[in-house]
Amino acid sequence: MAETAQQRESQGGVVAAHGETIHLPAPTAWPIVLAFGCTMAAAGLVTNLWVTAFGAALMLAGCVGWFRQVLPHEAHEELPVVAQAVTITTTRRLVRHIEIGAEHRAHLPVETYPITSGIKGGIAGGIAMIFPALAYGLIAQHSIWYPVNLLGGAGVGPSAHITTAEIATFHWSWLVVAIVIHSVTCLLVGLLYGAMLPMLPRRPVLLGGILAPLLWTGLLHSTMGIINPALDARIQWGWFVVSQVTFGVVAGLVVAREGKIRTSRGLPFFARMGIEAPGLMESHPDAGPPVDKEKH
Amino acid sequence: MADQTLPIAGSLEVTPQRHSPALLPEWLHGWVVTVDHKRLGILYVVYSIFFLLVAGAEALAIRIQLAWPNNHFLSPELYNEMFTMHGTTMVFLVGMPILFGFANYLVPLMIGARDMAFPRLNAFSFWMTAFGGLLLYYSFIGGFGLYGMGAAPDVGWWAYAPLTAKAFSPGHATDYWALALIVSGFGTLGTAINVIATTLSMRCRGMSLLRMPLFVWLMLVVSGLTLVTITPLTAAQIMLTIDRYLGGHFFDTQAGGSAVVWMHFFWIFGHPEVYVLVMPVFGIASEIIPVFSRKAIFGYPAMVAASVAIAFVSLGVWAHHMFTVGMTSVGNAFFVLSTMLVGIPTGIKIFNWVATIWGGKIRFATPMLFCLAFLFQFLIAGLTGIMLSVAPWNWQLHNSYFVIAHFHYVLVGAIVFNIFAAIYYWYPKVTGRMLSETLGKWHFWLFLIGFHVTFDTMHFVGFMGMPRSIYTYEPDRGWNHLNFIISIGGMIQGIAVLLFAWNLVQSYFRGKKAGNDPWDAWTLEWSTPSPPPAYNFATDPVVHSRRPLWDLKHPEDPDWKYEA
Amino acid sequence: MSAIPVSPVAEPWRLPSRGRVAMLALIAGESAIFTIFVVAYVFYIGKSLTGPTPLEVLAIPWFNTICLLSSSVTILLAERQIERGKMRGFTMWWALTIALGTIFIGDTAVEWHKLIYIDGLTIRTNLFGTTFYSLVGLHATHVVVGLIGLSLILIFTLTGHVKEQHSERIQVFALYWHFVDAVWVVVFTVVYIVGR
Repeated sequence: MAETAQQRESQGGVVAAHGETIHLPAPTAWPIVLAFGCTMAAAGLVTNLWVTAFGAALMLAGCVGWFRQVLPHEAHEELPVVAQAVTITTTRRLVRHIEIGAEHRAHLPVETYPITSGIKGGIAGGIAMIFPALAYGLIAQHSIWYPVNLLGGAGVGPSAHITTAEIATFHWSWLVVAIVIHSVTCLLVGLLYGAMLPMLPRRPVLLGGILAPLLWTGLLHSTMGIINPALDARIQWGWFVVSQVTFGVVAGLVVAREGKIRTSRGLPFFARMGIEAPGLMESHPDAGPPVDKEKH
Repeated sequence: MADQTLPIAGSLEVTPQRHSPALLPEWLHGWVVTVDHKRLGILYVVYSIFFLLVAGAEALAIRIQLAWPNNHFLSPELYNEMFTMHGTTMVFLVGMPILFGFANYLVPLMIGARDMAFPRLNAFSFWMTAFGGLLLYYSFIGGFGLYGMGAAPDVGWWAYAPLTAKAFSPGHATDYWALALIVSGFGTLGTAINVIATTLSMRCRGMSLLRMPLFVWLMLVVSGLTLVTITPLTAAQIMLTIDRYLGGHFFDTQAGGSAVVWMHFFWIFGHPEVYVLVMPVFGIASEIIPVFSRKAIFGYPAMVAASVAIAFVSLGVWAHHMFTVGMTSVGNAFFVLSTMLVGIPTGIKIFNWVATIWGGKIRFATPMLFCLAFLFQFLIAGLTGIMLSVAPWNWQLHNSYFVIAHFHYVLVGAIVFNIFAAIYYWYPKVTGRMLSETLGKWHFWLFLIGFHVTFDTMHFVGFMGMPRSIYTYEPDRGWNHLNFIISIGGMIQGIAVLLFAWNLVQSYFRGKKAGNDPWDAWTLEWSTPSPPPAYNFATDPVVHSRRPLWDLKHPEDPDWKYEA
Repeated sequence: MSAIPVSPVAEPWRLPSRGRVAMLALIAGESAIFTIFVVAYVFYIGKSLTGPTPLEVLAIPWFNTICLLSSSVTILLAERQIERGKMRGFTMWWALTIALGTIFIGDTAVEWHKLIYIDGLTIRTNLFGTTFYSLVGLHATHVVVGLIGLSLILIFTLTGHVKEQHSERIQVFALYWHFVDAVWVVVFTVVYIVGR
């Protein structure tokens, strides 16, 4: 009803409530008397106890007066309503809405690869990357043990005084260490890859296969000098990148061949927590127009 | 104070149907006996602006004293009184009354009510606050302290024990501090109860809790927080009074009492108090930023939830003021982590404001300028807060000017800026006239420059080891130039505030007529005439969405379609 | 009661009673005051440098406690009576509540008299004295305020001013009395059980 009154006002008409009066609480002096009494009662402690007595008297008077204002009925005064034209309108008529298209925002993936596919990809990639590494050993250093020993040496520790000929020969212990490092790292990277898959929803082979190895190589390139200076001096970064990319691409291909599973991200919180709360999970019914709109 | 009279006269036009103010006594009488929430709100704000000028003058006195090494502009005794009274006044007689004054004026209008839930209690609360402040300032005349008559409280606004014991603070100066704040504390308690009852019980039809303007929400949360925040201070001050008058031993270390207990009690009040001051200005920003960005507030439910979260977390962080006291490492760790936790809901709020501005059609009117500065400065204040919440860092910088810089970034950079924004925004509603935009822009830029010159520089003297509350310093510490710069910044701020006061006065007489809705805003108070009549609404409003005036202005595309 | 005239609209628009909300808010604030005093009491247990100690001088006030707690029941019965418009029953239960409260405050006075004049424990004797008189005194102050309110209502009932339609206000006031009783449970536990 107020709305209709306001609408009428906005059309420059007369105020609906013209000539009526409105109940409002009557002005009263007792609150200020009581407050002054309280303050005086406190002020007496820092000045003179007679001030406190005066304050207490005022408080009593204030309380009694206040009581008589509100009991048995609160004192009211009638205020006449004065017609005042109020226009509720705007010159800014143009409203632009956010256009919500399919591409409006990055939605959380509804489907993603299972995390085990990452592990499988890691294993496959780990096997695949052996070949470019061995090829590098054969071509550049004429020994397939060269890359193995470089990796194994990294695990055994700083090998500052080691010669290239020594690295090119076969060592049992370095082979074992290299295999352990290689398989553990491949599994862990595969696991990380699987866990990151929901973040790479579009092109797992491209993002995971090329971008991630490059980043990983960059990280190693900047830190290898601290981890193992001798290895850092010998490593061929071009070949290193090639074998890393091989790993990434193969892992990505394996992952891409695995089927996708549904994520639970689209579901409401309660459903994901396994709570059965039917009332909470229902969607809102369409909002109808407000209740008393059609009146008048 | 000339500016004191201006909104007073303004509201007389509010009620032309009452007796015309032929005589000054009659006019005064009308203000003294009023129970109208709008008049009381104006009284609160005028009272606070008066004390803002007083406490600002005290701050300038402090800054002049510290501008040069070995300066003797103030005596050491007077210097102690100055920083004690500056802090106490700004928190209790400026910050809280002005924000509760806004609440008084705006909450009933925003929720479509005709008055507060308890109009007489409302008047009582205001007068308690007002008389409490006057009692505190009477100590400058009637207080008797360590150095004789005319002694104001000089124990710091935190009033640490055992300095407040009778033996170390003879006379009554400290009692003035305790008693005046007990009196005004009861006033604040009354207002808080009133705001809660008004918000919960006086809403117009359709104004469900989740349709209330965010300012109303924030005032509801703040009032709830006030209930459990002011009362511990009152309790502690009662204990202090028992110690000083009846010979009790609460904080008497000679008799087994503990000074640290006072610190705990004080900061159990003192830290939530910061949120009592800052959360209303969150509400102000949440009203102003959408209107001047021409967009609905971003993330309304998240804003509400974050406010409630801040209120809860703020109750568990007080001892980060006490890392140097020597707590257990578990205690330290707890308060470090709980303090950092505040950053999460606060961050949500900042992101929501930024998201509201994002893509909006921004109007850089003075209220918006102050709000934008607030966003920037509040972020920095929060970051230095996170720095100080780390106990080892705190051990280095405790009680240094870095801390002063941090909390003035909150209190001035966030709170005072938004209070100015609020006054520029709602002055047309209260008086019917716009504040001058030209003077407003001068005020804004001068104040912004002065603020940054002062408080940015303060961080550095803090790093260089300058402690707070010192009377003066030797010239060989390397602080000379920086202190001088800080004092210059203080002067610039002072000039800006005087410009603002002049703006308030001259716009009242010569300002542009405002009309009922000068900013093209969306909350209910703009549907009333400016200034609103005593009864606020001729007919009870009915709302259907969070922006009732939007619905009226855009009947073809109302908000309630999107909200339910 | 409200200043706003109720508009004649079909849909019910229900809001909580402002009196009840305000009383609950007041109780929240009062609870914070009591919390601080209780914490101070607990913190200072056993920290007094001189006697007398609580164990030497305090006797557990069982009778007192039973009186005060049962007054919560009687006021509840009084509330029920006025809701149903039975003013006689209301007056009786209300007067009984006042009697129980008066017994409590009188008994406390007797206890304090003994503590002060026989045991020589005052508020300045030691930390125990300071915290004891503050905490119990704060509660007693609330009881006295409550008793004054209760008595005023009784007087107005006897003069016939309190009627059935005031039951809402009566219930709001009774909330305060329930709060005072609940606080006593805490004070009693802390002072007479834990602290002894």
